[in-house]
Amino acid sequence: MSINGTGIRVAAVGDIDEGEALKVPADTTGHGDAIAVFHDGGAYYALDDTCSHGQASLSEGWIEDGEVECPLHSARFCLKSGEPQCMPATLPQRTHRVDVRDGAIWLHPGKESTG
Amino acid sequence: MTAPRRVAVVGAGLAAVSTCDALRAQGYDGELVVYSGERGLPYDRPPLSKDVLLGKARRDDVLLRPEQWYDEQRVDLRDGAPVRAVRPYEGGIELGDGSVAVADRVVLATGGTPRALPVPGGDDPAVHLLRTWEDAERLRERLLPGARVAVLGAGLIGAETAAVACALGCRVTLVDPVPVPLAAVVGDDIARALHLQHTAEGIEVITAGVERVERRSAEILVHLAGYDGVVAADTVVAGIGIRPATELAEDAGVRVDNGIVVQAGQRTSHPNVLAVGDVARRDGHRVRHEHWEAAQRDGQAAALGILGRPEPDAGAPWFWSDRHGSRLEAVGTMADAERTVRRGAPDGGALTVFGLCGDRVVAAAAVDRARDVKVARRLVDRRVVVDAERLADESVDLRVLLRSGGAT
Repeated sequence: MSINGTGIRVAAVGDIDEGEALKVPADTTGHGDAIAVFHDGGAYYALDDTCSHGQASLSEGWIEDGEVECPLHSARFCLKSGEPQCMPATLPQRTHRVDVRDGAIWLHPGKESTG
Repeated sequence: MTAPRRVAVVGAGLAAVSTCDALRAQGYDGELVVYSGERGLPYDRPPLSKDVLLGKARRDDVLLRPEQWYDEQRVDLRDGAPVRAVRPYEGGIELGDGSVAVADRVVLATGGTPRALPVPGGDDPAVHLLRTWEDAERLRERLLPGARVAVLGAGLIGAETAAVACALGCRVTLVDPVPVPLAAVVGDDIARALHLQHTAEGIEVITAGVERVERRSAEILVHLAGYDGVVAADTVVAGIGIRPATELAEDAGVRVDNGIVVQAGQRTSHPNVLAVGDVARRDGHRVRHEHWEAAQRDGQAAALGILGRPEPDAGAPWFWSDRHGSRLEAVGTMADAERTVRRGAPDGGALTVFGLCGDRVVAAAAVDRARDVKVARRLVDRRVVVDAERLADESVDLRVLLRSGGAT
């Protein structure tokens, strides 16, 4: 991973398979929490990694149809908005902007995704 | 039929809150009142036998919804307001103080009451039960290091409670008449491995029934049936299941048979009464699905039923249980399977067992293999045709089976 003014280069395109996620550790994001970068439906999304309900890592969740399902209690979050889709989660996950440039995936911690 | 304008929910567990949540999400904008027999904001029950007993979670940590949600969603929560009677023909409910509240739909979310041991002394107040926040608080105060704790019943609640007591340094004895509890639900392999964990962690496991419970001045004696010995304990906990709290339904003339019998949309035998959660049993299902997700789904189905909309297909039931640092998850019922397929190292702890009928997965249970369960739920619900050999083959990514398998 490399960091510059235009974000953090977290992976090359192709490194994160469809339906998979990459956990970017908190000391890299500089954001307090790790951030999970998801690949779903040909697009990339990023949310705070720690589920707003429990202590699970959403990067280990089930990714499908624009949502991630928490590995622990199956709370689901919208990958675009971070909004919880069902209980037990009641609070949204923070979103972060991701873009693809020069064959790489770039993460912008703290910048809300533009959806 | 005119759209309902006044919905009363009796009870305040997950199924009740889920009903309210789904009603508002579906656009219902009429009156919505929740009557809770307990004090305070509604809370989630699974943590009671885990982090709450461990002292790691406070009430604020386990609320189903934050306080402002009730204002935002215009859910009128009446706590400490037990309901005395439901009068569907008169269009209302009667409260403990004798007052009557008008409602054109009543949702019964009354849950269950822990069963008392059906033996002499079994109903002694010294025998702890675990269902409510207060129960958990009372029990937690007793789980002191070195205390002798007897847990009667080694199902989900009993196993979790025994594991917590053990982690807190209590000297635990776990008693169950069944040698391998939970085998019908999760299969013999996993049930056996889980039950053996108790012994490995230093719990004394006894296979026996309970004959009677005798309270002495400083201790409680549990007399066992068909077992040579008496268990002397400072604290006794019984976890032998619940009885559905059907009294209000029965008094109102609503059909009850091992729970309040419900059809699609959680409708009971009375057109203005619905039932959700642990108290309800779907007509045609042998058992009540007394699990967290089932309660949530019931609430969603009830909201759609109230609004006269069709409910989506229900998936196979799913639950989890945490004990001794391991997580059990199960989908469906293993007893429904014709044969089983194992995936994972038999001696490594983490193991998944799939239950098949023909070439379809109908059940699965796993210890510490959450992703297998995520796939299994979808294999069951989508009726995917699978190759049993590939299911067992660790080199095959299960998601490939989900995508490539033929569904009918």
